[in-house]
Amino acid sequence: MNNQPKLECNGLTVKDLVTTGIFSAIFFIFTMFGGVFFAVNPVLTFYMPMGSALLCGPIYLLLVAKVHKRWSITILGVIMGIVWFVTGMHWAFSLGYISMGIIADMTAGFGHYKCKKLNMLSYMLISLGGIFTYLIFFIDPEGWAGAMLKNGTEQSYIDAMHTASPSWLPIVMIVGTLFVAAFSAWVGGNMLRKQFEKAGITV
Amino acid sequence: MMGQNQILPLWLDPRTKILLLLLCVLSAMAAPSLQYEFLLVAGIGILGILCGKWKYALKGIVFYAMVYLFTVWAMNSMTGTLRNMFVAFLGLFHKVFPCGMLSGIVISTTKVSEFLSAMNHIHAPKKLIIPLAVMLRYIPTIGEDWRYIKDAMRMRDVSPSFQGFITNPGITIDCVYVPLMMAASKAADELSVAAVTRGIENPNPRTCLIQIRLGAGDAFTTLCFAAFFLAGMYLKEAG
Repeated sequence: MNNQPKLECNGLTVKDLVTTGIFSAIFFIFTMFGGVFFAVNPVLTFYMPMGSALLCGPIYLLLVAKVHKRWSITILGVIMGIVWFVTGMHWAFSLGYISMGIIADMTAGFGHYKCKKLNMLSYMLISLGGIFTYLIFFIDPEGWAGAMLKNGTEQSYIDAMHTASPSWLPIVMIVGTLFVAAFSAWVGGNMLRKQFEKAGITV
Repeated sequence: MMGQNQILPLWLDPRTKILLLLLCVLSAMAAPSLQYEFLLVAGIGILGILCGKWKYALKGIVFYAMVYLFTVWAMNSMTGTLRNMFVAFLGLFHKVFPCGMLSGIVISTTKVSEFLSAMNHIHAPKKLIIPLAVMLRYIPTIGEDWRYIKDAMRMRDVSPSFQGFITNPGITIDCVYVPLMMAASKAADELSVAAVTRGIENPNPRTCLIQIRLGAGDAFTTLCFAAFFLAGMYLKEAG
């Protein structure tokens, strides 16, 4: 497939674009699956990014290993943003995924998408995409509650969230998400080495 | 080829569908009351029936009606923590359901070629559109793969349940991820070869057998949804 003509001026071939699309689908399903049990419970809702980060590490690393070119992670982030917005999520959630996608892409790019440590770090960064909604909540609780109430979330849900959110929570959230993402990436890295590199999938 | 064979009362341009989706998200955000949301779902259901998805639309409306009744009952008769749990869950549900239902109708009635051709009309970047189209088509395949994987796991005496995950995490993770990702990367190779064979890399403007154009139906549906959204905003201001 290496002698394929390039699409437009960019280095991404059609194969890379299709791969990105398919892995975005799996990424989306697993993010949803990991997050949904947390998101609906007011006490646990702050830990939702962790739940999402737990499942997607192997998928992300395989995507990077298969494509290893600039822009594919950005595309992943943008698609996540669009899809989450269309399903009616808070706008900061979408924006978080788009911006963290760009940052994660740059991070992995420093190692030319081959360095395992940097790939791991970039997965940790893209996992942070989910916490922006909650950070806005901590920066401006009143305005956030207003926006959410307009979105149709009930007042008592917000109240329950208020009582469940001491001031140390953002730190726990960020560190926890990073930690869970690192664990997931570690499992994913092992899986990649054990199962996929031998099978010649990652070339 | 088979696009216009079945006569449907309403055929919408993919561009209109995207606009409708946006209006639906905005309406769900602005929703001043539960009745308004119910009307929104009913409207989406009518749209689905007109687009030929009457079974899906009816199921959606009936299901939503049941949840609606349950919500009304829960709000009136429940108390304490249980009520809080349900309020949280139902709040999210009512916000997401209309958008999800409309997305389902849009995805199932839009052919990939129509979508790509319409996106070409509005000069959306190809690098974003191809992955998006592939992704939307691949999501149902994941469900299928998952069923096969579950069968295969049972055959090897690995329990595909939460309990199995707790007692035997390593092997369960391997059994779920490895086949799923193997299948995905095989599918990526095959799909891209198929797409190249069909000339996706052709630099000339894309042509499509089905003519993409905006018609009276598009204008009318958009007007209905826009009016509905504005009514919601007005009701919110008034109430």
